[in-house]
Amino acid sequence: MSSTFLRYIAQRVVQCILVIFIGITITFLVPRFSPTDPVEAAVNRAMMMGQYSHPDAVRMMKEALTKMYGLDGTLGQQYIRFWKGLLSGDLGPSLSSFPKPVMSLIRTSLPWTAGLLLVSAIISWTVGNLLGCLAGYFGNQRWSQVIGMIAMALHPIPYYIMAFVLLVALAYVIPVFPIGGAVDIGLKPSLGWIYISSLLRHAFLPALSLVLIGVGGWFIGMRTLVTNVVAEDYVTYAKYAGVSDRTIMYQYVMKNALLPQITGLAMQIGLIFNGALITEYVFSYPGLGYLAYNAIFTGDYSLIMGVAIFSIVGVSLAVLLIDLAYPLFDPRVKYQ
Amino acid sequence: MLKVENLKAYYQTEMYGVSRNVRAVDGVSLELQKNEVYGIAGESSCGKTTLIRTLFGAFDPPLRVVEGTVTYSLDGESVDVTKIQGERLRQIRWKQVSYILQGSMSLLNPVRKIRKTFWDFTRAHEPITDAEKFEAMARNHLNRLGLPAQVLDSYPHQLSGGMKQRVAIALATLFEPKVILADEPTTALDVIVQRGVLQLLKRIQRETQSTLVIVTHDMGIHANIADRVAIMYAGRIVEEGRVKHIFGDPLHPYTKHLIESLPKIGDKSTRTSIPGAPPNLGDPPPGCRFHPRCPYAEPICRRESPHLAAVANDRRVACFLVTTKENAHVS
Repeated sequence: MSSTFLRYIAQRVVQCILVIFIGITITFLVPRFSPTDPVEAAVNRAMMMGQYSHPDAVRMMKEALTKMYGLDGTLGQQYIRFWKGLLSGDLGPSLSSFPKPVMSLIRTSLPWTAGLLLVSAIISWTVGNLLGCLAGYFGNQRWSQVIGMIAMALHPIPYYIMAFVLLVALAYVIPVFPIGGAVDIGLKPSLGWIYISSLLRHAFLPALSLVLIGVGGWFIGMRTLVTNVVAEDYVTYAKYAGVSDRTIMYQYVMKNALLPQITGLAMQIGLIFNGALITEYVFSYPGLGYLAYNAIFTGDYSLIMGVAIFSIVGVSLAVLLIDLAYPLFDPRVKYQ
Repeated sequence: MLKVENLKAYYQTEMYGVSRNVRAVDGVSLELQKNEVYGIAGESSCGKTTLIRTLFGAFDPPLRVVEGTVTYSLDGESVDVTKIQGERLRQIRWKQVSYILQGSMSLLNPVRKIRKTFWDFTRAHEPITDAEKFEAMARNHLNRLGLPAQVLDSYPHQLSGGMKQRVAIALATLFEPKVILADEPTTALDVIVQRGVLQLLKRIQRETQSTLVIVTHDMGIHANIADRVAIMYAGRIVEEGRVKHIFGDPLHPYTKHLIESLPKIGDKSTRTSIPGAPPNLGDPPPGCRFHPRCPYAEPICRRESPHLAAVANDRRVACFLVTTKENAHVS
């Protein structure tokens, strides 16, 4: 470990922390400057029930809500309190499922989303890039053109249509897969076969829909990258020198073409913390996207902020990870 | 060593039902001896690179050899590289005929150490049984070319432009090929580095008694290194001869212009350029291809195209003005 290496890492880590700090600060400020007042909105919702409330009761309700939202005191006081809570893992109670804390809601949703999206991102990245590389390298062969056409046909299908078609076809018309949920109702988490198989069966369709769309995107990107790299002088030179096709494809073409795709994968993994709203909605999958969707519809400010904070942290950590790992893939980027 | 006869290599493209022939090499004949440096000169897009690629048997569609032969005599056996393919071609390449392609800055894989590239290029022709032996061979080869063995541990981006080109040359000469084809080996290098690279090429050529074909638009390089020079214009050789004859007494009007355009020490007069632009090779002019720009063009030049005819020993020229007047100088 040289000092330049350590300095490289320290610099990136500090940068990452700074980005997270600024991002979270903005998430803190935006709802506070927005014209809609969450307290007012909650009171109005309660009043809409049509009951008569005593003005004192309304005032007390407002005070209680203001305190619960952490909106009492000056902006500076709120900010300090917000960070104190955040650092001790407390994001306040969720309003829509009061009094459950936001943290515990996120904690139950996160593993589902993370598992689903991580696995499907990795599968689609690997398959898409491998096929894209082959198709770009053997561009004028029949099979590569067929794969290209399939990818071209799959890629532009709007995701929600793909998801619905899969759901209707494979869960309703031919009911091989469950219509929704993450596991069969009533099953307790365990490492037993029944639980795992139920989990896999439920995850299959959402994962398939994500993979089908994802593969198309990675494929098209990789094929273009490879077609460009194949035309590079060093590839021609190696070809003329009689270097074997295998070596040229993996060491000369793929290694160079894959560099931007590695960045893409890390970004995709960072976005896991956003959840996959449409997937989770269509397949009633209890992930972060679904949680965020409900939070928006019920005006659950603290939950929206909680999800946003996770997303900021996720993307920033992914970027940090690429920065740290990139010199391993590209010798032109050095730890300095 | 190498005999090229009436070689025609066209880029044949078809787009929206319209086929187009770009006659990049259109009837080139030449003969190369063992242990000589042959220079091919000409302006951009005159077919130099296409010619040298065809000499290497490297023509992929849309480039096609329409006519003619490129025959090497290797170990008493004659091989026409326009006819062979696949494994047979692979065996000849690098061991017998090497090709340093244009673009010295980008001939090396940016994410691979030079050692690995040496390994790949070596293994393509000889099985590597012993890593230590390979290491010794690579170091020895670099040493002989006067390059530091540390380059093996470098990535291309850590080397200077001149060093990259030298490494590319080292890669091309791993197996002491009998013919080395070099396409613009010094373009994009400054003159000092150019000199080093040329000396390296020349030294390799002399030590291995090989044939070196060097393609460049830079007449200064030809004057320095070549034994014989061919001047190409619009896909054809218009003049060929010993370097001192070409420079001292150019016969073809195009060659004359080319030589006159070179600056001379002490001569401060303005250099004139040839009027007009080189012809479109998709639709070359009839007759002599130079006639639209030639100040001496006569009616016959517009109708018929002159053959590259021997006018003296080691001297060929394709111009009616020269061949009809039998060695008479055009003035």
